Amino acid sequence: MCISGPAYATRLLSCLLLCGGLFTTPRLSAADGDPAADAGPHWSFQRPRDPKPPSRDSLKHRKRIRNLIDHFVLARLQSRQLPPAGPADRRTLIRRAHFDLLGLPPSPQAVKQFLADSRSDAWERLIDRLLESRHYGERWGRHWLDVARYADSGGYETDIYYRNAWRYRDYVVKSFNDDKPYDVFVQEQIAGDEIWPDNLDLDPRKVYKVSDKKRRHLEARIGTGFYTLGPQVHESALDARRLHYETTIDWVDSTASAFMGLTLGCARCHEHKFDPFTQADYFSLHAVFASARAIDLPLWTAMEEADWRQAYPKVIAVERARRAYRLFESRHAGKSLTPEQVKQKQDLLNAVARSVLALPERAAGQFAVDYAGLMHKPVARVLARRHPSLIPPIHLLLRGELKSPGQRMDPALPAVLATATDTPPTLKKPFGSRKQLALWLTRPDHPLTARVMVNRIWQWHFGRGIVETPNDFGRMGQPPTHPDLLDWLTARFVADKWRIKPLHRLIMNSGTYRRSSRFATAAHLKNDPDNSLLWRANRRRLEAEALWDAVHVSAGTLNRAFGGPPVVPPLAPDEIASLREKWHWTVSSDPAQHTRRGLYIMVRRNFKFPMFEVFDTPVTSVSCPVRDVTTVAPQALWGLNNKSVIRQATHLAARVVTETGPKPNQQVVRAWQIVLGRPPSDTERTQALALLDDLAGGKPTPLDNTPDALKSLSGPRQQALVQFCLALFNLNEFAFVD
Amino acid sequence: MPTRREFLEHGGLGFGALALGDLLRQQATAKNASPGVGELATRPPHLPGTARNVIFLFMQGGPSQLETFDRKPVLTRFDGKLLPRELQDYDLAQINTADATVMAPRFPFGRFGESGLEISSIFPRLSAHADRLAVIRSMHHDLFIHGSAMIMMHSGTQLLGHPSIGSWVVYGLGCESQNLPAYIAMTDGIFRNGASMYSSGFLPAIYQGTDMRIQGAPIQNLSRPSTISSTAQRRLLDQINAWNRRHRATRPGDSRLDARISNYELAFRMQTAAPELIDLSRETRETQELYGIGEGKPTDRYGKMCLMGRRMVERGVRYVQLICGGWDAHGDTEGNHAGQGRKVDQPIAGLISDLRRRGLLESTLIVWVGEFGRTPIKQGSNGRDHHPYGFSAFMAGGGIRGGKTIGATDDFGFAAVEDKVHVNDLHATMLGLMGIDHEELTYFFEGRFRRLTDVGGQNNLATRLVRG
Repeated sequence: MCISGPAYATRLLSCLLLCGGLFTTPRLSAADGDPAADAGPHWSFQRPRDPKPPSRDSLKHRKRIRNLIDHFVLARLQSRQLPPAGPADRRTLIRRAHFDLLGLPPSPQAVKQFLADSRSDAWERLIDRLLESRHYGERWGRHWLDVARYADSGGYETDIYYRNAWRYRDYVVKSFNDDKPYDVFVQEQIAGDEIWPDNLDLDPRKVYKVSDKKRRHLEARIGTGFYTLGPQVHESALDARRLHYETTIDWVDSTASAFMGLTLGCARCHEHKFDPFTQADYFSLHAVFASARAIDLPLWTAMEEADWRQAYPKVIAVERARRAYRLFESRHAGKSLTPEQVKQKQDLLNAVARSVLALPERAAGQFAVDYAGLMHKPVARVLARRHPSLIPPIHLLLRGELKSPGQRMDPALPAVLATATDTPPTLKKPFGSRKQLALWLTRPDHPLTARVMVNRIWQWHFGRGIVETPNDFGRMGQPPTHPDLLDWLTARFVADKWRIKPLHRLIMNSGTYRRSSRFATAAHLKNDPDNSLLWRANRRRLEAEALWDAVHVSAGTLNRAFGGPPVVPPLAPDEIASLREKWHWTVSSDPAQHTRRGLYIMVRRNFKFPMFEVFDTPVTSVSCPVRDVTTVAPQALWGLNNKSVIRQATHLAARVVTETGPKPNQQVVRAWQIVLGRPPSDTERTQALALLDDLAGGKPTPLDNTPDALKSLSGPRQQALVQFCLALFNLNEFAFVD
Repeated sequence: MPTRREFLEHGGLGFGALALGDLLRQQATAKNASPGVGELATRPPHLPGTARNVIFLFMQGGPSQLETFDRKPVLTRFDGKLLPRELQDYDLAQINTADATVMAPRFPFGRFGESGLEISSIFPRLSAHADRLAVIRSMHHDLFIHGSAMIMMHSGTQLLGHPSIGSWVVYGLGCESQNLPAYIAMTDGIFRNGASMYSSGFLPAIYQGTDMRIQGAPIQNLSRPSTISSTAQRRLLDQINAWNRRHRATRPGDSRLDARISNYELAFRMQTAAPELIDLSRETRETQELYGIGEGKPTDRYGKMCLMGRRMVERGVRYVQLICGGWDAHGDTEGNHAGQGRKVDQPIAGLISDLRRRGLLESTLIVWVGEFGRTPIKQGSNGRDHHPYGFSAFMAGGGIRGGKTIGATDDFGFAAVEDKVHVNDLHATMLGLMGIDHEELTYFFEGRFRRLTDVGGQNNLATRLVRG
């Protein structure tokens, strides 16, 4: 649609209003201690300083100090005359630390050990132990996946499946587990292919084995998967130019949001009126990505491929035999078999065995974890260079419209940031500009990159960043509540070689992190209702995945397998009713996959896993810096009526009976400990027993698939115990972390 | 240190400060709510509006303007001939305009009511309401594909992740129902595009539409499992609430904990209210017949949906979305549209009559539209292809004065040329009729204030529609 004349003027005016362009005030606030109050460039476009913490002697609540973070925080509280809450008790702390670092509840055993650990550094040891767990990367990788707008499909009407997106997910998880320096993490995602160009072609020195260096380089390339998993209007393949434009615009916007903490979108249509970014800046950045395209990178050597070619027909034969057997099983499920059918079944089973025996001893390829992995060639979707003659020219688009190309643009850094870092803005072309961009972003003195990440980590620990708008460090974002602390932490982070685990230790060892959340006075609530000054800990509702994981851990059913293709748990008919293409939700055939961690559940842009939808997993169309936390009735309906949560309550009931026996009193205590990490009080125990008695009074309807352990109880008692377990999953104490 | 909210309220904001401040305040307070409280509390509109509720009749697939509301006699003269030269430059998705031939309208049109509104013969019963309809003949956008066009019709942009209009309306006006969601979507088939048809996008998830089904359990997880009786579940819930209140007592200053407790009560009430809502057995035979409800009748399914729509409005549901699929007439346009007409004509006419006699029509805005229209030129032997440059919609109720036609396409029904109404304009109009100024209903996301109408919506028809 072409707009011109007065209509365009009105539209532009509207856009400027929406983008905040008509604000006459030059900055958001001129508050105490806010560098934005100083004249000169916006605070976040200046290099971070390394401020000295306020002196210990100047602080009143010295008892609350555990490390230097507290100096900054207590000084701010003191200036507003808000005394901090006391420390949380040990039970609260271990639950907080477990959910925070692993996204999983502590086992009753772990709680017991921590309570009994009288060493002075018990807390530090706990954190060290948790940081070594491989579940740590699953938790913190998931945080990053929000920022990376991760999904396993393209959205829009066709919602095409991204078969290899999970390789990027696993790359992220592994990067966190390995404590990969953040600068390297950024470099790999933006330009892994340009910085470490390599492939798995034959290495003349090592014929039979791929060197570790090559593997590392390959991993770096998988990082560029960041760019290949954005939303995609598949249908617009009708208009290839538009498809390319929408895809690469997503690359520019995601780069700015995720790595720079900037929303540049405004500058697509007109000069950014609030931040010093021009349309030229925007399309110069666009030009950086013009020479890139998404390809499927083979993750194996030519030798491995040859192996696979030999093994593939045999793998297919196994799959065929398995399917025939499963088909027979499902057709005759629950029916008694004639002798003839018994023989038929045995034959089918023998066929499976024979086909398995026909397979070679070892699965080909170091990337194929098992034979199922051999069904498809192992490839990753990554960025690569376009053929030079196929690089589309990038123009500055007037009003951001594809139909109105202006001047042709070359790759360049945003001018104001180039100046701030004393870097010439011009970048190489046609290739090498992504590498330059990545290396420039990760310079130790870059004003944004490290700060933005430090702020994210703070936010993921506290539920709120020092800058409350983690994807907007520009003038329309919020100014930092503790600017000096942010810069001080940034300096530590960079000095620690951009490693994230030391930062976790620093933050979690502070008194600020260890405060109680169960505290408030009228003065506190009046002067700082949002707790932006951190006078207490923020109580946090479990995210969708953490809630899912916690339910399964309690039930003892969590499958802790690591990585691999997304899993698809079964849904009740009412949950799947709204999905048009039912095959988009093809349930994983192996039931063990249905109880994997929430991280591994398929993320479709068009159809969220219903429980996740209800508990606020992010919209995956753009980078999500902070998740919504809503409280709505469908969450309660899920907790009371959902088939899968009731099934888990049944497993929990069975687990409790197995671990304690038939006595209700012991069952109550045990269930309480498993789910809430503490024994019930006397009142709670009495009430629970009364509840069990009342629920057992009704007429029993048989449970589906009663686990054997439960069969030792009478029918009504079974159901009462299951419902009691379900009640525990519905407690606020379970859903929130103090 | 001032927060963004305080800044907006007091500093430097020259427009809509009051309304914005109000919305942002609600945005800033904890995101807890059950219908009717907190963020979903009913709110006064910016301006006095004439409509309180909306029933959005979405004709999925793209009904032809030329077989419904846009009479084009010229097409009959040109039937089977090439398009005039000046129209051959149009860029269509799949048909080459240069060698395509014109196809005459498949149905006769009549003039109805005192106003003489022109309606094709596929809507005989709707024609009786001619003086209550405002037909827009100049709808337009530029998207050819169902997916993108449907996202456009619902969210004003072709990009994913933006809130649908129902979410904006509830964000603006809140919820009037104590036991039901504020925004309900139903379809006679399956939602194409998944949840984007009723998504809250970047607005908080409490503004998300609830997809309700006509049969079985109308809402996800609504049915109590068969293993527990209602009394037992009540007992369980009482105990959960008691423990949650006890937990709450030692945790001051956290309204989310209260909100969770009240949501459990709401969930329990919904278990009764939602099945009651879709239970049409209490409606009289006469009412059911008015909508064409009856086993085996082509009108049965959409008739039930329309009647449920009326029941929703009666119960305070703010925004009702009723999707009717099947309009994608690539092949036999004549046969397709005759059948589609049989499906929806009586239900929609019945809905208007029923709302009217109950005094609900004045406050309930009905909007009828598809994601695009269809080409004046032929596809295959007797079909029409997707066509977004000019198509028709109608509105009724909600305080508008009917019997009027707005805008026009060219002689061939190819493109809107007069008084053009973009999707943003349609949305601005709908919001306007509800008393919401579309320029002031904003939400801050990704660095800027977002609007349903983005930078469009200049052709807001609301005042014109309400005038006689």
